[in-house]
Amino acid sequence: MSIQLLALAVAGIVVLAAAGLEVYRSSRARRLVAGVTSGAATEPYILYFTGENCTVCRTHQEPALAKLGPVRVDKVDAIAERELADRFQVYTLPTTVVMTAEGRALHVNYGYAPAQKLDRQLAEARNASLTMERTATA
Amino acid sequence: MALTTVDHSALKVNQAGIIVTVLVAFVGSYFYRPLLVLIPLLAVVLLLGTFAPRLALFKQIYFKVLKPRGIVKPRPVQDRPEPHNFAQGLGGVFLAISSVFLLPLPVIGLALALLVAVLAFVNLAFGYCLGCQIYFQLGKRGLIRA
Repeated sequence: MSIQLLALAVAGIVVLAAAGLEVYRSSRARRLVAGVTSGAATEPYILYFTGENCTVCRTHQEPALAKLGPVRVDKVDAIAERELADRFQVYTLPTTVVMTAEGRALHVNYGYAPAQKLDRQLAEARNASLTMERTATA
Repeated sequence: MALTTVDHSALKVNQAGIIVTVLVAFVGSYFYRPLLVLIPLLAVVLLLGTFAPRLALFKQIYFKVLKPRGIVKPRPVQDRPEPHNFAQGLGGVFLAISSVFLLPLPVIGLALALLVAVLAFVNLAFGYCLGCQIYFQLGKRGLIRA
């Protein structure tokens, strides 16, 4: 067998192992999200990472979230829930994650996200959920 | 963490350059072995570009040729350049290690080069930068000043 084929096989095995590890990490993160948040969702929702000393969270992000209307917002203390914060690479507060009803992270906003932007992302999350539903029933 | 403007198109061109060079070396070496020299050359290009951005070959091709002629449109994003530079340097280091293995153990050398190309592809296609993540993790553990 040529060197190229062997090298391809070695690289392929490493990539497959990494992909397997990532699938495991994702499912673990999904379980973590379920543990931290207020249970199963029927609508898209927002994970809102904040912290005690985050001033922008109080002055900007929370008023923006309040403007969204009846949307579920799960507040997460980024310091207390480090594993979950790590999963979404939260190094900036506030961080908002727009989740689909199925628990898939669709958008991650590092820093202040205005209401208009979140509204648009939530609409996309609703569309994504509808598409999945249609595929499942087809 | 100072945010500045990073042209993500320059990063994409850099990633595309890495993928194409590794693929040419990989496929080409099947027919003409000396083409493997592209891998150490790419390592040198990436490492030089990390420490002296003016010498980053693919980024310079973007800034001097592709962007002025409108072949690739700029995509400025509020971002930090350090994680991307770190990722590029890491790619260079892995390619340098790969180059060391190319003569005694070509399978390992080529496999390492392919992995660098796969990671560049993942970054180009899906925007996931493993090197940047390693940079943040090292910063969080206080091993580098992130």
